[in-house]
Amino acid sequence: MFRGVRRRTALAVLLSLTASLLAACGSGSDAGGDLTTEKVTLRFTWWGADDRHKRTQQVIEMFQKKHPNITIKGEFKEWNGYWDSLATTMAANDAPDIMQMDELYIASYAERGALLDLNEAKKHLDTTNFDQKALATGAIDGKQYGLPVGLGMYSIMVNTDLLAKYNIPLPDDTKWSWDDLKAIGEQVSKAGGGQVFGVQSPGINDTAGLSIRARQQGKALFDKDGKVVLPPEIATQYWTYIADLAKAGIAPPPSVTVEKASAGLNQSATATNTAVFGFWWNTQLTALTAASGAKLKLLRLPGESQGRPGAYYKPSMFWSVSSRSKHPAEAAAFVSFLANDEEAAKILLTERGVPANLKIREAIAGQLKETDKAAKEYLDTVPVSDPPRITPNGASTLDAILKRHTEDVLFGRTTPEAAAASFIREVQSEVDAAK
Amino acid sequence: MSALDELRQLRRGGVQVRKRDNKAAFWFLAPWFAGLVFITIGPVLASFGLGFTKYNLIQPPRFIGFDNFARILSDERLHNALGVTFTYVLVSVPLQLACALGVALLLDRGLRGLAFYRSAFYLPSLLGSSVAIAVLWTQVFGTDGLVNRVLGFFGVEGKGWISDPDTALSTLIVLNVWTFGSPMIIFLAGLRQIPAMYYEAAAIDGASRWSQFWRITLPLLSPIVFFNLVLQIIHAFQSFTQAFVVSNGTGGPSDSTMFYTLYLYQQGFSRFDMGYASALAWFLLLIIAAFTAINFWAAKYWVFYDD
Repeated sequence: MFRGVRRRTALAVLLSLTASLLAACGSGSDAGGDLTTEKVTLRFTWWGADDRHKRTQQVIEMFQKKHPNITIKGEFKEWNGYWDSLATTMAANDAPDIMQMDELYIASYAERGALLDLNEAKKHLDTTNFDQKALATGAIDGKQYGLPVGLGMYSIMVNTDLLAKYNIPLPDDTKWSWDDLKAIGEQVSKAGGGQVFGVQSPGINDTAGLSIRARQQGKALFDKDGKVVLPPEIATQYWTYIADLAKAGIAPPPSVTVEKASAGLNQSATATNTAVFGFWWNTQLTALTAASGAKLKLLRLPGESQGRPGAYYKPSMFWSVSSRSKHPAEAAAFVSFLANDEEAAKILLTERGVPANLKIREAIAGQLKETDKAAKEYLDTVPVSDPPRITPNGASTLDAILKRHTEDVLFGRTTPEAAAASFIREVQSEVDAAK
Repeated sequence: MSALDELRQLRRGGVQVRKRDNKAAFWFLAPWFAGLVFITIGPVLASFGLGFTKYNLIQPPRFIGFDNFARILSDERLHNALGVTFTYVLVSVPLQLACALGVALLLDRGLRGLAFYRSAFYLPSLLGSSVAIAVLWTQVFGTDGLVNRVLGFFGVEGKGWISDPDTALSTLIVLNVWTFGSPMIIFLAGLRQIPAMYYEAAAIDGASRWSQFWRITLPLLSPIVFFNLVLQIIHAFQSFTQAFVVSNGTGGPSDSTMFYTLYLYQQGFSRFDMGYASALAWFLLLIIAAFTAINFWAAKYWVFYDD
């Protein structure tokens, strides 16, 4: 009797295993073929906040109306959980068909063979209205692994209400230097009396500030091959500046800085009106204005007129298609819709950045809110130089490494010199480890 | 029908019933068994194999011998994580057990409403490793949190306890001590097992409460203390949620809340280095096994079995 049961169980297990294997190598259409007329379901995942979920869902419904046989299943998460879950689903061979991809991660995924070369789906994906330079940001060795969605620029956001309150004139951002920012920040902190600070500490959220510092002096974080070429002096100078801001009381105390950084955008010093100058992406102007309720203005970064401009267009995110998608042609068609459809663009607006599609950018210009307009104008007018190399494979923890070193400096656990050396060593070893 | 026949009949029936039971039990067990094999044993064995490979989750694993284990020796951030974890275990477990024993002794004195107190003290154990409590913790120990409000009331200026690397780990230790409920329940049960006559005899001989505790309660409770110690040490080594939530998954500030398990998780899921993460998991198993072995060895010298 037991024998019988065992045999039957074994058979059932075997059958289910075979079934799952068969499913895994199921036949799919190839990227260059015609769109299917059968019913298909595509999974589409993105990170973001509520506003983005609502807009994206609307656009999904528009697409489904045009293609009644295609169902798009949206899966959305917060930034942190997003990457953990994407990595896990990739490992389980269960990756979504269409993914919102970030500059930090695109090389890591592409070079591991997880992303489809969108050129293979050219037939369904229209990229004619994209600026070539912008398109190139999503390409590695001539293969288009991501279609840039929007563009952003690293900038300074200043709270002009608070400046007016303290009778401090707005600095001339076409000429100002890093020392000027320090000086005016000091004035603000004095006037703020311990409640309002001059500058929200940089170096906590984003490596862009360090990259731009290097670019202003004609250097970069990475060379073409992904080798770390950041001179230690520049990193030292960067962390010395951050340490000085904290020591002089120009930035909030370190523990406040760290706390606010982990509490998210709405708890930031800029959003809570507790710092007058903050480093942000220009496209965050709308969200931060809403959160702070104050009047915020975009300024160029300091030091842009002393050396060469360090500013650059950064693709805020990409659309990527999984290399294991069973319906690459349909996925590409959906991406094409997201990127080119004017009706869709009128819903999405600049929520994912100022559109990289130039035709779309003009099409929605009339519909933009004042803050979105300001973000677009900033992008259209501020001088930039060629974008830096895409974050190489293995360095997707770059921002986390930067944050840890900034914390070490802020709490006096290391010197800026030691932090600079350690940062460079660690990033290089991450890149090497991924090879 | 004789009694013997009846018995025989019953036994026959009983056998039949038992057989049916077996069959049903097998089917009821099957899902659990499938889970054990496919979700627990399978992955455990796989992770042992993966420990010897370089595996980035997307490309197939590549065999690299003992490289991952060699890296354990030279990985400075791991050594820091080990320091953090050992501090956490060695400070929070004794404190937690002391609290548990203290409260158990109080409750054992036949308080009115005992059931209520028992549940009230046990509650944190149920919640302690939950995400909700960890989120609450960030509020309680934040710059504008409860702790600083209370301190402010006494004129002491507080700070961001969780966002300062010098104090962040202490807040997690406090959290773990707070969840003393489950060892407390076990202590309570143990205290009930100690025969009252020992205390009566001691009282007649004029022993103070203090020496009654040291000479009767503690020796007779030592097997329970030992049991709790082993369990809580293993439990503390595996702590993850608290540090993950409180530090937003970073183990920060400055790696000060980087538990071993959190570091392992980051290696696997942020750095896509599943091979190294697997090796780390097995290394943790060795550490826990070593601690448990030391515990059992030391037990010979202080645990007293009353039989």
